[in-house]
Amino acid sequence: MADIYSTAWYEGVRDAMNTRVATMTDLPKGVLHIKVEIYGDGISPYIEEDVERNFLIRIADGHCDWYREVDGDDTSVKLDYRFRGPATIFDEIAAGLQDPIDAALHGTVKVRGDMRFLMRQAEHVSVLLDAYAHGVQTTWPLGRPPYAAEHKEALGA
Amino acid sequence: MRNAYDAIVIGAGHNGLTLGAYLARSGLEVLVLERRHEEGGGLCTEELTLAGFLHNVHANYHTFVDLAPPVHDLDVRGHGVEYVRPEVQMASIYDDGTALTIHTDLDKTCASIARFSEQDADTFRRLYSEAHGYVDLLLGTLMYQPPMSVKELTKALATFGVEDRSEFLSVKLRRETINQFLDQHFTNDKVKAHLAFHGAVCAYTNDVPGLAIGFPLLIGKIDNWHLCIGGSHRLAHALWRDLAQHGGVMISDADVRSIAVDRGRAVGVRLVDGTEISARKLVASTVSVEQTFLEFLEPSAVPEELHSRVKNDVKHKDWSLFSVHLAMTALPAYVAAEFDPDVDRAWVVNLGYGSLEELNADFAAVRAGRLPDPKPNAAVNSLYDPTDAPPGCATGLLRQFAPFAIAGGGEGEWESMGRWYGHRCIDAWRKYAPNLTDDVILDWVPYTPLEIAQKLPNMVRGDWMMGEVSLANMLDQRPLPELGQYRTPVEALYMAGSTQHPHGFITFGPAYNALQVIADDLALDAWWRQV
Repeated sequence: MADIYSTAWYEGVRDAMNTRVATMTDLPKGVLHIKVEIYGDGISPYIEEDVERNFLIRIADGHCDWYREVDGDDTSVKLDYRFRGPATIFDEIAAGLQDPIDAALHGTVKVRGDMRFLMRQAEHVSVLLDAYAHGVQTTWPLGRPPYAAEHKEALGA
Repeated sequence: MRNAYDAIVIGAGHNGLTLGAYLARSGLEVLVLERRHEEGGGLCTEELTLAGFLHNVHANYHTFVDLAPPVHDLDVRGHGVEYVRPEVQMASIYDDGTALTIHTDLDKTCASIARFSEQDADTFRRLYSEAHGYVDLLLGTLMYQPPMSVKELTKALATFGVEDRSEFLSVKLRRETINQFLDQHFTNDKVKAHLAFHGAVCAYTNDVPGLAIGFPLLIGKIDNWHLCIGGSHRLAHALWRDLAQHGGVMISDADVRSIAVDRGRAVGVRLVDGTEISARKLVASTVSVEQTFLEFLEPSAVPEELHSRVKNDVKHKDWSLFSVHLAMTALPAYVAAEFDPDVDRAWVVNLGYGSLEELNADFAAVRAGRLPDPKPNAAVNSLYDPTDAPPGCATGLLRQFAPFAIAGGGEGEWESMGRWYGHRCIDAWRKYAPNLTDDVILDWVPYTPLEIAQKLPNMVRGDWMMGEVSLANMLDQRPLPELGQYRTPVEALYMAGSTQHPHGFITFGPAYNALQVIADDLALDAWWRQV
């Protein structure tokens, strides 16, 4: 069990991804850097409103090398993809309550980068997303989603 | 003009200028050659009627503003382009005096549709909301990258389970017409007619199998129609300024006679006046495949099979547009404003199509070379652009679906029939806006499908999309499979105009996608790829 967005949690996601792709063939070659930008939406207790947390993922030959939190202006690597969305949506994805493909399809999570590669590697991408959403036993020290109702109440929404 | 450049681009339409500007910003010495007296191609604004009345001769609707990467990458607004997004984007006026209006405000659009069918209004809201959500994703996947095959896309959609996640997207759409899509989801004839009309204005003809696949995307940006203040040519001028600011050169009145090929590689061009200019790295053509492969290249430079296929297999639209440009002293006052006052503020108005059957019948007539009883669409730019006509006056633009070649006489018939058919189109407009009497119309000129082809030869047979819009001529199949990735059998010769995926219209897509291929081939630093 790991707290959401903790180092142990990132490592758990990484391990889950690698376990899932271990049996896959035709994994894409090369290195990809993916940035995940999660911004506070006033509902999630894990990222304050108007605050943004940024995560960088390195995929090499289909496996996750590392997954870590970085500063927003981090330029240590050249990005291949950027996923951006509100904290509540990412929390719900991590809790297995929200489907990441649905979130991308409906525009709640914006995806930027070479879509050809994503489409051609659809199977691999699906496996990685599934690992993110269902691969880790997550603990939620500030409360577990769905928490919209009480937080919305607290916000006076 | 020097005698050698890194890159020579043939054609200074929006694709040629866009490609040239990106390459110039990438540090290449770029020359863009234009046959006409000015840059722009379809971005052509002229005082066709009277002094002070600015008429967009070809491109009038800019529907990819803020969706197409070049709009930002090339800072077109910084170069003087001002866009307005009309609040009332479009309307349909029906023969019974009712009207339907499309607004930038979704609630108002749904309220308008609900006057015909509350169920259809709910469906439209769901369709729009769903499509608007994935419009970025679809544009990034389908329009602003070199194309994938239908097979690859279908496989990916299946793997991602898109069909189970979407009410409206489905792999079966690749076999269906827009008519079928509308019949499956909507109930009211007038609502269906309006939505089909909107597709047809975007060249997505409602009865062509397979075009349903693009329809949700069209709906996702149905309220993104923009008007270029001061005329569409302002965009061409902005692109030229960007090119020039980064060291690129555009030469007008530069009629290309041939592309020079040395040992299978494009190495330059020769102009009609005999001038020879070398290209150190590439030549890119943004004109038609026919001009490029049948006129500019020696037959020996083109594989025999490709030569034959360009001659015989390139598909063009089977309908064109007949236009009437008007100078007026009043805005149209529609009778249907009694039903919905917003029609008087609608930028583009469908005059009379009230059912899919009516559209089907007219497209069948057009394909047979017949002129339908006019049901033109009317655009009044002056509603939102106070600069396009003298004070107190307005411009008008009528567009009617029409054949290129008229049955029994061919395209030459337009020379004698243009004025006559223009009168009929104006009469059709008056039926709905009786205030547009003779004394209100100061002047008008017809602009026929024949004139489209004469003015812009790359629009072969008046084909303003520079290639049929059909599933068989989309993605990597456009304009031919061997040319579908912007490269050609001639090394260092690229195709970068609207003959290529995605298609015509002011999408910037062909140039932007050709740029990706060129960048890969030349190992350019792709500064524009902002992830």
